[in-house]
Amino acid sequence: MKIAVCVKHAVDEAELKIGPGGSPLLAGAAGKMSTFDKNAVEEGLRLKAAHQGEVVVFMVGGTESKKTLKEALAMGADRGVLVTADTVAIDALRTATMLAAAMKRSGRFDVVICSEGASDTYTGQVPPMVGELLGIPYVGYARKIEIDGKAAKIERSLEDSVESVEAAVPFATSVVSEINDPRYPTLIQIMQASKKPVEELNGEEIAPAGSRRGVEVLSMSSQPTARKHVMIDGSPDEAAAKLLDALSKEGVLK
Amino acid sequence: MTIFTAEHRQLMQMLHPGRHQEYSDVLTSLGSFMEKELLPLSPKLDSGDEPIDRPRSALFAQGMSLIPFPAQYGGLGLPFSVYAMAVELLGTADASVALSVEIHNAVAEGVLRFGSEPQRERYLGPMITGRRLASFALTEPASGSDAGNMATTAEKRAGEYVVNGSKMFITNAGEANVYLVFAKTSKGPSCFLLEPPSAGLKFGAELKKLGMRGSKTREVIFSDCRIPEENLVGEEGKGADYAKAILHGARIVVAALNVGISQLAYDKALAYARQRHAFGRTISDFQLVREKIADTKTGINAGRLLYLYASRIKELGGDYSSEASQAKVFATEMSLKACDDAIQIHGGYGYTTEDIHRHWRDARLLTIGEGTSEVLRMLISRRELARAQ
Amino acid sequence: MSGQVWVYSESEPVANEVATAAAAVAQGASAEVRMVDIGSVRPATRGSGGRLLLKGPAGHEVSPAVAAEALARAAKDLAPLAVLLGATRDGREVASRLAAKLGIGCMAEVAGLASDGQGMTGERNVFAGKVVAKVRCQFPAVATVKVGAYPKAAAQPGESQEKDVGPVSDQTKTVGREKKPAGAVDLRSAKVIVSAGRGVKKKEDLAILAELATAMRGALGCSRPLSADLGWLPEEHHIGLTGVTVKPDLYLAVGISGQLQHVAGMKDSKVVASINTDKDAPIFQASDYGIVGDLYQVIPALERALAARR
Repeated sequence: MKIAVCVKHAVDEAELKIGPGGSPLLAGAAGKMSTFDKNAVEEGLRLKAAHQGEVVVFMVGGTESKKTLKEALAMGADRGVLVTADTVAIDALRTATMLAAAMKRSGRFDVVICSEGASDTYTGQVPPMVGELLGIPYVGYARKIEIDGKAAKIERSLEDSVESVEAAVPFATSVVSEINDPRYPTLIQIMQASKKPVEELNGEEIAPAGSRRGVEVLSMSSQPTARKHVMIDGSPDEAAAKLLDALSKEGVLK
Repeated sequence: MTIFTAEHRQLMQMLHPGRHQEYSDVLTSLGSFMEKELLPLSPKLDSGDEPIDRPRSALFAQGMSLIPFPAQYGGLGLPFSVYAMAVELLGTADASVALSVEIHNAVAEGVLRFGSEPQRERYLGPMITGRRLASFALTEPASGSDAGNMATTAEKRAGEYVVNGSKMFITNAGEANVYLVFAKTSKGPSCFLLEPPSAGLKFGAELKKLGMRGSKTREVIFSDCRIPEENLVGEEGKGADYAKAILHGARIVVAALNVGISQLAYDKALAYARQRHAFGRTISDFQLVREKIADTKTGINAGRLLYLYASRIKELGGDYSSEASQAKVFATEMSLKACDDAIQIHGGYGYTTEDIHRHWRDARLLTIGEGTSEVLRMLISRRELARAQ
Repeated sequence: MSGQVWVYSESEPVANEVATAAAAVAQGASAEVRMVDIGSVRPATRGSGGRLLLKGPAGHEVSPAVAAEALARAAKDLAPLAVLLGATRDGREVASRLAAKLGIGCMAEVAGLASDGQGMTGERNVFAGKVVAKVRCQFPAVATVKVGAYPKAAAQPGESQEKDVGPVSDQTKTVGREKKPAGAVDLRSAKVIVSAGRGVKKKEDLAILAELATAMRGALGCSRPLSADLGWLPEEHHIGLTGVTVKPDLYLAVGISGQLQHVAGMKDSKVVASINTDKDAPIFQASDYGIVGDLYQVIPALERALAARR
């Protein structure tokens, strides 16, 4: 079984600093593998363990993002494909177009796995777009994937319901985080990961952007947090009474 | 928080310009593992609600102990400074686990340096992958760590050594499945590998400690305990030298461990100082609190540089015994001050909150264990005086 | 003929919210709103402008794939300026596929929509809610509208227009659909939410939080570990980046550490109070009122104090 997994080198939102003018300091900001992508890699590895084959990790990003690709390889993926592009300036459709183009060059994949959304921008658009551009069935928000020969049965986790969906291989999917517990690569795997093959493709060459402008980011500013930060002390009973007094004054106690 | 910070990364880059990326990847991964899987358990390890085995095994499975050992025994063959920094991170995540692992690794280093090839084959591989847990049995109830005056004896009889005596304050005792035992033969202090279970091997009750409560500490008692001849490490009569050599390396690592403890106590104190209000402003606005912040930060950095300096001399094959001692004396004493200041900054909460004062309780061990500050100052000054001649 | 802004959501209440957003875009673009139905008319949808019924697929089998294909076929002929969908899980999928089919941009989970006539702008949360990004896309464009960001439209749509898009087949087959259990919570409309985190030691202890929620006439929510990792509460109780986004009058976080991913789901609450044993827990940074204490002592104390007041 040939399995493609898409990952993103996301901005580490916990480490992101806000500049004096209120805009985030994205240049040089710390990055990491998008949190839920670990579930996507894990599911790819799980499917490989059950059905043999190989797991190929695809990523659109700059040079600094290689460590995310390497982390996926350390987890156990067999090889990586890095599509180089300036990720700040492109929208989801552009990213998906480059991913799909890179996959088409690598031959036909039986399963294409993404996570439900990136932990930094969380649009959730790339996975269905990749499925659409590859022209294969797509089932999003999977919390369970079972494959028997050419038939796949997938549980989709929606807001208030769970759908069982049948699809034929090949198909594309996005996984939600409850699908599995991602493994930690061991130190040996981390050291060996640098020896695994990574192919670099130029995004503009494999999928020329043309004149399309797509979604542009006009500005970014930090969310003001105007919380009061009042710490209430005293015994549990005293604290409880003080809290209820405060909440009554706020008019939020029903 | 992130345990492996940009500051750590920068130091790796300075120490190992050519391969820092790889070392940082290893430490980043280890740090995030510790942060998610170990740090949250730390209060429970301290309170006794979580036994040490599972987190320690998980850490071994990640490859923590493989770092400084050669590839031919299954190790990663990375520089000692990478290992020392890994122990610093571990000290931040949980000091007890760090202590247990650090002593285990010190024994492994002893086997690598002084053991025979068959001993390395039998013990080293399983130790560094964590399949065998090791314990270092040197200190005695009466003579402490003064290897020359040990009372435990090993008498050679018909192809084996018969050991009698006892060892005190032994970390990992009772849990370990290999003990590096020091005992006197007719030729003087000698070193043996002992595999339990063994008829003459008994353990005292678990000692109730001030800190480092997640790790197990017991007395080890030998009464006609038999060790096969082939388990003698190196030569008879050289045990005291081996013990010293092993402890020199361990002192670097203990310094790193205490830097790790200090870092967490400092992070907590800093966060608290920025948040706690008194007299209409945060307490971080007060100069005397700022003094503590400045001194602790400076102390942590100095301690870190000292242990990395000693590590680097060790990597380059030089004599690092004095620098290792300097690092340990400085970092352990600095750590006590840092953890004490963290309690002070937290005020009443510091004195009453386990999760604050346990850092001081943990740090308190290591101006004593593995060479007291007093003994180490002797060692440092002796070398300085010798050089001046 | 003036341009059109289309509204579609598989959920009728969400469609009515999207209609309000569409009105703002239509106004700036001097366009008309069309409430789109696929297969059959849903009389419960509201919104200004007219209806557009896409005929071809049967109403009961409109999967995201079918919706996206039907909308794409109609859009190729009728050329709307914009298609707005709800940012539900299905809605995100329909929007993304539609944008890919048409080769146009898609703004994700936006609020504050407006149009300058040539395109539309909106605001969305990024970096787990730390930052608001203002985004723009040239017409024609697709967007998903943040659920809960707009009031529901009230007006009845006017004249109906029909478009036959022909039969649409789906490559996948939905063979089962189950309501997630225990539901009955509508956190999005709750005025008071008591939310449980890892500080709760065992599943049975959730009962005391549920009691408090009832006493406060509110609903019970939780952070991700309780639903995703421990499975103590169904997924629809999960408040956070990947769960439900809520904005109650009062959000009481109990034993929740306050990771950014959780805060992203509750930061629009009017008042936030939290209880945590760790005085350094990040949740206190996102709170108006904080109590450092053991929830097993503070919650019963709160219940006693509440009972005494009533």
